[in-house]
Amino acid sequence: MENKDASSPERKLQCSDVGKCFQLLERILDGELVEGGNEMLQEKLDQCQPCFAHFHLEQAIREVLKTKCTKQPLPDKLAESIRQMIQDAR
Amino acid sequence: MSEVQRRKYSQEERSVIFDGEFMPHIDSMYNFAFRLTFDEDDAKDLVQDTYMKAFRFINSFEQGTNAKAWLFRILKNSFINDYRKKSKKPATVDYQEVETFYNSDDVDYQSTSDLRAESVKDMLGDEISNALNGLAVDFRTVIILADLEGFTYEEMAKILDIPIGTVRSRLHRARNLLKDSLKSYAQSMGYGRDEEED
Repeated sequence: MENKDASSPERKLQCSDVGKCFQLLERILDGELVEGGNEMLQEKLDQCQPCFAHFHLEQAIREVLKTKCTKQPLPDKLAESIRQMIQDAR
Repeated sequence: MSEVQRRKYSQEERSVIFDGEFMPHIDSMYNFAFRLTFDEDDAKDLVQDTYMKAFRFINSFEQGTNAKAWLFRILKNSFINDYRKKSKKPATVDYQEVETFYNSDDVDYQSTSDLRAESVKDMLGDEISNALNGLAVDFRTVIILADLEGFTYEEMAKILDIPIGTVRSRLHRARNLLKDSLKSYAQSMGYGRDEEED
């Protein structure tokens, strides 16, 4: 399936339409399905080095944001005080 | 998200919606509020205000639709209308200035980033969080909504009251700014370099 090598002799080193390609890659990564997107994606990853690098960088950024961003613990009693406020407002 | 919906919920229905559909999002709401304000008390106030408003306007919530997006929209509006005005710490970048700078669908897609996916994966949570927190609030917001909370472009457009094209371009710019910040960090740590491959 997908060629995981960071560089491959089959890939061209210049992308002829960076704007269009990168926008497409980003939409696919954001889960915004584009018609025929998967086939196009596979073709780009196989054949174009800038697209390959951009895709993996963008994917890594999304992944670390999703998994590594420090979460703020919910303060004690916040939920309770909200329920109380609602109770009083009734 | 419909606001023309004007059916009246009974007292019992309101409790069911509030407890069953609104309260489960309190963690996400608090984290969003904290990432907007960087202050525990302000974040608490913002979340409380949001839930009070959600309760008051519960009849405009259509049961079974996306409660989380509806609540996030209220929170974001409260932040802009109430919090930003009385903020002790004004945003570092003027809102209007930012808005005119990026409020267009034209986006500069460039193939210039020399940041590597591997360097990004090696970074710690604190480094990622600091880079995110360093972004101007409007850029920060789109990344929080898309990547941390998993909203779609369409949901984000409704939460932020902007067209989908603007969501996409703002998100793209936000991630570019984030990459710049991560790149500086990677370089300062010496693990963003490509020399072994040359």
